[in-house]
Amino acid sequence: MGFFSTILGFCGFGVGISLGLVIGYLLFIYVQPSDVKDPEIRPLAEQDPNAMQRMLPEIPLWVKNPDFDRVDWLNRFIEYMWPFLDKAICKTAKNIAKPIIEEQIPKYKIDSVEFETLTLGSLPPTFQGMKVYITEEKELIMEPCIKWAANPNVTVAVRAYGLKATVQVVDLQVFAEPRITLKPLVPSFPCFANIFVSLMEKPHVDFGLKLGGADLMSIPGLYRFVQELIKDQVANMYLWPKTLVVPILDPAKAHRRPIGILHVKVVRAIGLRKKDLLGASDPYVKIKLSDDKVPSKKTTVKHKNLNPEWGEEFKFSVRDPQTQVLEFNVYDWEQVGKHDKMGMNVLPLKDLTPEEPKTFKLDLCKTLTPSQEGEAAQTEKSRGQLEVELLYKPFSEDEMPKGFGETQTVQKAPEGTPASGGLLVVIVHEAQDVEGKHHTNPYVRIFFRGEEKRTKQVKKNRDPRWGEEFTFMLEEPPVRDKMHVEVLSTSTRIGLLHPKESLGYVEIQMADVVSNKRINDKFHLIDSKNGKIQLELEWRTAP
Amino acid sequence: MGLISGIFFGVIFGVVLMAGWSRMMRHRTSKRVSKAVDMKLLGSLSRDDLKKICGDNFPEWISFPAFEQVKWLNKLLSKMWPYVAEAATMVIRESVEPLLEEYRPAAITSLKFSKLTLGNVAPKIEGIRVQSLKEGQITMDIDLRWGGNPNIILGVTALVASIPIQLKDLQVFTVVRVIFQLAEEIPCISAVVVALLAEPEPRIDYTLKAVGGSLTAIPGLSDMIDDTVNSIVKDMLQWPHRIVVPIGGIPVDTSELELKPQGKLTVTVARASNLKNKELIGKSDPYAVIFIRPVFKYKTNTIENNLNPVWDQTFELIAEDKETQFLTVEVYDKDVGQDERLGLVKLPLSGLESEATRDIELNLLASLDTLKVKDKKDRGSITLKVHYHEFNKEEQLEALEEEKRILEERKKLKEAGVIGSTMDAVGMVGSGIGAGVGLVGTGLNSGVGMVGSGLGAVGSGLSKAGKFMGRTITGHSSKRSNGSSSSTPVNSVQDNGGAKPLKQQE
Repeated sequence: MGFFSTILGFCGFGVGISLGLVIGYLLFIYVQPSDVKDPEIRPLAEQDPNAMQRMLPEIPLWVKNPDFDRVDWLNRFIEYMWPFLDKAICKTAKNIAKPIIEEQIPKYKIDSVEFETLTLGSLPPTFQGMKVYITEEKELIMEPCIKWAANPNVTVAVRAYGLKATVQVVDLQVFAEPRITLKPLVPSFPCFANIFVSLMEKPHVDFGLKLGGADLMSIPGLYRFVQELIKDQVANMYLWPKTLVVPILDPAKAHRRPIGILHVKVVRAIGLRKKDLLGASDPYVKIKLSDDKVPSKKTTVKHKNLNPEWGEEFKFSVRDPQTQVLEFNVYDWEQVGKHDKMGMNVLPLKDLTPEEPKTFKLDLCKTLTPSQEGEAAQTEKSRGQLEVELLYKPFSEDEMPKGFGETQTVQKAPEGTPASGGLLVVIVHEAQDVEGKHHTNPYVRIFFRGEEKRTKQVKKNRDPRWGEEFTFMLEEPPVRDKMHVEVLSTSTRIGLLHPKESLGYVEIQMADVVSNKRINDKFHLIDSKNGKIQLELEWRTAP
Repeated sequence: MGLISGIFFGVIFGVVLMAGWSRMMRHRTSKRVSKAVDMKLLGSLSRDDLKKICGDNFPEWISFPAFEQVKWLNKLLSKMWPYVAEAATMVIRESVEPLLEEYRPAAITSLKFSKLTLGNVAPKIEGIRVQSLKEGQITMDIDLRWGGNPNIILGVTALVASIPIQLKDLQVFTVVRVIFQLAEEIPCISAVVVALLAEPEPRIDYTLKAVGGSLTAIPGLSDMIDDTVNSIVKDMLQWPHRIVVPIGGIPVDTSELELKPQGKLTVTVARASNLKNKELIGKSDPYAVIFIRPVFKYKTNTIENNLNPVWDQTFELIAEDKETQFLTVEVYDKDVGQDERLGLVKLPLSGLESEATRDIELNLLASLDTLKVKDKKDRGSITLKVHYHEFNKEEQLEALEEEKRILEERKKLKEAGVIGSTMDAVGMVGSGIGAGVGLVGTGLNSGVGMVGSGLGAVGSGLSKAGKFMGRTITGHSSKRSNGSSSSTPVNSVQDNGGAKPLKQQE
């Protein structure tokens, strides 16, 4: 009997529990509203001491640390933008989710999955400080401290077998300290090629997940487990030194490196017009590629000839075949005075097909302006024709000069270097606060193993920037050698008392360079007040 | 019995469990919400808030200026500057060169950059202020200072000679206003409006130096360049003028943001009284010039030998932004060669009521720059009758078309070489003498224009000789109010670049 009643008691307890849970659910949880209210925010001045105490650990970093900068303006910007941003993000999210849901639904016998509500709430993320690091490399590093304690309301309703279940995400909180690195810096907008994002610490994630109104995350133990799981997952992917790379620009293109070679053969000119008073003209051709810093190239002068045959070849490195234009100018050589222009024409490179030699016969005109060209054709006599042969050869992929990112890893020395030796590369970047007593027109001289190299001179500048590269080919690693780098200034005027003075020097142990492969640092100049020089030294060994 | 008690205890246990869970839920929710509130509060602290939190340990390195300091941005900028400078060089060449061409004075036949590098000193951002003045718009004011060492060499070709001119010691102090128009689509910004704030006035200082020659080779050249720069800044960039850049991706109506004719100002220049006598023999021959934008100048007849002239001429001017614009009235003495200014006065449009005619008597001033005015002498007064009419939609369009037409016409004239520059004041139709005066720059072509500018240069040369040594001439482009002592008003020198306000939407 006692045994029976115990059994019955247990059964009753089982039934009772389920009954109790249902009653309790209906009584306590079901009746609670599922909508999310905006939290009531009272100004700080009205907060009681208890609340203040609670806040203390959350004091923004810019208050605590002088090396963090305040970014209230950015916070305010985001705050104003937030309603729009919220709607935009939600719209995009819905549009992305829709096709995926539609694709997945038939597999699971679910009638429909839809967003009942989707909003990120009224509270925008805030930046609690911003820190930047400046290194000698071509990169920018910033570390914002982002805290987003949001009040989103994301409700997904799933319908299956005539029943409806809702999953609701509320009170999402994400605190993270990402490191954003922009590198390499390149000289075309937006001035960096890649964005690297990584987290310096495991992020803090907290949220409420309501299944039919009941918050699963408040089951003791579960929350901690889920939080750890998420943290580890994210950490696996993005915790420093792992990074997320967002490419912005192709560095090769951003640098406007040459992508091909243009062979130009100036064959002949026919029927040039006479310009000299006595005898025929003495023509020569000047060729220039637009957007190119290289000075224009010239053919030889053919004396007293109006139908000159040159047959001379020139090479140009092409950066952008779509926009660059080749310009031909025929001049009349004069012994004395200005050379007369006999005619000119241009040839856009986009008319060329790669790897296919093509001959052009160009009519020479006076100027380029189209309006005047028309008149010229009518009123003026022909200025003659110029015959040229062009061949455009784009570099193949492996021929391409190495991109920019490779500077990070030490490049290999070129072929032909002795097996034990290598190539020592010195890049003189810039100097700061160099000051001469009488003049400051600095340039740098490098002495190394009896060789001497020098940079260009920068006039009247205390913070000159050279960016010049020098190489020394060596038989063996220069372990015992020193390099002497000196900043000098010469007077721009001749015959003064102070023709030349030293602005400071520095001696660098090569052993450091050999063991580190690469050093990029600022060195304090000796014999200078505050002068510093940034040098990059690299030891490239044979492969 | 066992069953019933089992059920009973089961129910109680279940209910308690649920109650506990719900309590837990509420506890966690309130914790999260209070944290969210804390975050929100700490996101925007003021000085008092911080004082309350920190008590006596208030960190000394924190201050709260109106324009927030952005040290980190400056650090980034100076590191990035060599790259930005190189990238910007190309952009500037492409965008500014056509502008220079558009605004170049008559006596210069070509104005181009022959060398342009921005130097190695990065601009400094002194502060940033963000506010929302209008629903759906964010206004960001950036206090920008640049005391750079750029190497800018302008290739200037005038009638006879071509000389390279170097711009040295460039200094720019200005507050840039950037307005972001928000949209409900990624990237959330549909258009960006850029302008230089008029208050405080942008300051662009530089030194002009001729490379391997003398600035005096072309008389009045420095003035011409100053005025070109001045009018580009004033008529393109300075608030209320602006540049509207639509951000790609979102088709949006940016016409709201652009500067449009807002109203019509009908001004009757009635009379002036007690003008100063500037002539040795007889009395001054005064005429008045009125304008809102320097591109659209209007001129009255010249009344000879009279210090209390009565003109009674009516002009219609277009106002784009009543809140910030001024009506400028200048009175000149017609003279052989350079006309002399008898005085000027500015009337802010913001004080005018719509659809009401007002008689206003204004005292003429020697100069608008109150720091420079030395004498307190009475320069006479001018009486205006002003009527402001706010446009409705159709009238607005009409005015816009009209403005476009006038500028087109002037451009054509400029191309034909009839007027040297698009900014020559065109006298009102019917005011014969006004047009006649305009002819100094108009009918006679650039040759005479040169004479005019030559004369102008004598005047400016004299006034500047004391100040500047050798061939270096300093321009305070924006500080100089329109028509300071060295330039003539309507003909020759001052008549620089033609403005094309409608081409702003680049």
